[in-house]
Amino acid sequence: MRLASPHVSLHTLAVAAFRLRELGIAVALIVAVAVFATRADAFLTTGNWRNISVSVAVVVAVAVGQTMVVLTRNIDLSVGSVVGLSAFISADTLSAHNGLPIAVVAGIAIAVGLGCGLVNGLLVTVGRVPAIIATLGTLYVFRGLVHQVSGGSQVLAFELPSSFKTFALREVLGVPALAVIAIVVALLGAATLRWTHWGRDFYAIGSNPDAARLSGIPVARRVLLAFAICGALAGLGGFMFAARFANVSAASGSGFEFDVISAVVIGGVNVFGGVGTVLGAVLGGLFIGVIENGFTLLKINEFWKTAFQGFAIVAAVTVDALVTQRLQEALRRRRRREARAAAHAEAAG
Amino acid sequence: MNTPAAVVARRAVARWEFVLVLLILAAGAWSTTQSPFFLDADNLLDLMKPYIFIGLMALGLTLVVIAGDIDISVASTLAVSVVVFADVWDHGLNIWLACIVGLLVGTGLGIVNGVLVGLLNLPSLAVTLGTLAAYRGVAFVILGGGGITGFPSDYTRLGIGYLGSSIVPLGLAFFVAVAAAFAVLLHATRFGRYVYAIGSNREAARFSGIPVDRVRVTLFAISGLMAAAGGLVYASYFATARADAATVALLDVVAAVVLGGVNIFGGSGTILGVFLAVVLIAVLRNGMGLANIGGETQSIAIGALLLGAILVGNVMRAGREQDIGRRILDRLQRKGVPTREAQATAGNPATQQHRNHERS
Repeated sequence: MRLASPHVSLHTLAVAAFRLRELGIAVALIVAVAVFATRADAFLTTGNWRNISVSVAVVVAVAVGQTMVVLTRNIDLSVGSVVGLSAFISADTLSAHNGLPIAVVAGIAIAVGLGCGLVNGLLVTVGRVPAIIATLGTLYVFRGLVHQVSGGSQVLAFELPSSFKTFALREVLGVPALAVIAIVVALLGAATLRWTHWGRDFYAIGSNPDAARLSGIPVARRVLLAFAICGALAGLGGFMFAARFANVSAASGSGFEFDVISAVVIGGVNVFGGVGTVLGAVLGGLFIGVIENGFTLLKINEFWKTAFQGFAIVAAVTVDALVTQRLQEALRRRRRREARAAAHAEAAG
Repeated sequence: MNTPAAVVARRAVARWEFVLVLLILAAGAWSTTQSPFFLDADNLLDLMKPYIFIGLMALGLTLVVIAGDIDISVASTLAVSVVVFADVWDHGLNIWLACIVGLLVGTGLGIVNGVLVGLLNLPSLAVTLGTLAAYRGVAFVILGGGGITGFPSDYTRLGIGYLGSSIVPLGLAFFVAVAAAFAVLLHATRFGRYVYAIGSNREAARFSGIPVDRVRVTLFAISGLMAAAGGLVYASYFATARADAATVALLDVVAAVVLGGVNIFGGSGTILGVFLAVVLIAVLRNGMGLANIGGETQSIAIGALLLGAILVGNVMRAGREQDIGRRILDRLQRKGVPTREAQATAGNPATQQHRNHERS
């Protein structure tokens, strides 16, 4: 009589489903690249890929933090406003004090983002406000703050020192500096989620918050941490945004949350929490960047991009839910079979 | 103080709706200090005009939230409905037929949400977040960045005209009538009870024979219909139809529902509360406008109000739960069951007496 442990079967099934999601998005990415490469001559040039990598870099940096929040079964809708607020405050400070080192500017942006993230996290954990409502509220509050701080003015490129403007153009081994930052963030994020115990806690909380609490995980503290990291990375994203465009207004970063959430959800991070990887989010970000770039090269109406992203979110959620439902059904069937077998064995023995 | 009138009065005061009325009065009092014209009857009625479309969307969303779901795609649904309505009118269709087309489009988009949520059992938050982007994109694809204007005056009366020769805006009268219809639907029909039951416990509702799937799809359809109706009022008030219509309206709509006392986790809420919350938001925004506070800064106040309302609600709920706990404890003590608290207060004469009684 062979009785496979249900835990093992759950694990292997889950891992298989996982791989499938990342494989799926990788295949979609390859198809998109192939289609654009045959239709648009400029698509496969180095210059174009430098463009894509810089625009994807900002999305990916923020998407790593968003992944952590979504893993804990929460969501942060306010990242677009946090990017705008931190971009404006850091660029504005730099325009007033031209001599500031770039690291300090980045530090200011990250600190602003961290503050915003802590506000979100405290609202969700201490205030017990559902994340969707809390961050919808702060989406508008933080955006209002940008308008308040800016007073309608902009930070223009000529006000910023040339060292800041050339920073985004610098390259390391042919890779743009912003892309290098994104790669480092992604590697750190992936390592955190894979090997640190609090990174594993994010998965546990998202899979089953009650079970996580009962097994001694400080759920509220971990969720607060996830929001804090997400805020800090959105702050870093704000710095990257300012460096990329060298021009920040009160409306900067509006709607950016959709790029980030699309990247995360398309990359296979389950909105119910507990499932997903940084690699998936990076692939999702790349996919969005390639689509946007390809649409531009093919002169497809820019508005199609928004619609496409929305439909992609719905499609990804649908696929995810169907896979999960199949998984659970298979599991239930298996358990029933095992229970029957055990009953038989008892009757015979 | 136990006459029936006093009891009724005390119950009314204890309700959330009463708090809303106080807040409206406070906001109004502040607005009066900003402008002497605030208290004119004309202004009091007119200040609702720009917020009628918010109110209509909030009514639809209220039902969805009470049933335990959420629909954050309403503003995008509004945009698609407005754009299609204006486009078919621009192509020569009669304006009223075009209105019906717009309403049908909104209902259809709501049904799409409903089928994804109700039949495929997908999370409503994720689905409507997706359709929020998708529908907005569709609106832009249909009309691009331009706008359609020049609607006939018969139609624009809906947004800016008045009821007969009175000072009551037509839009306000429409909103009150729709709110009354919603109140009847939610509070006096079987369908309304189904909505509460599904929001309280979906599985229990299913086991007690409520057609849960059908009701949820219907609710999203109603939400889409109300977004389209809001869109028709919006286009007639602003006299233009654009794909970026109502992009920042989502905050006000969600704030109205939550401020109105609707439990964001489903199961409770009233139409009267949401109606009052819409009035409160209109008065607040009008007052801040009189004080020369810009729209973006106003959003800080509305956002803070939204978050504050939930925080206060959570604190109140926690307090009530503690009360229930104490009441159970009291009852146990009266029955003579030894509780930890009773043992701790054994020196208390009242408890001593209680124990003697027990022994005999």
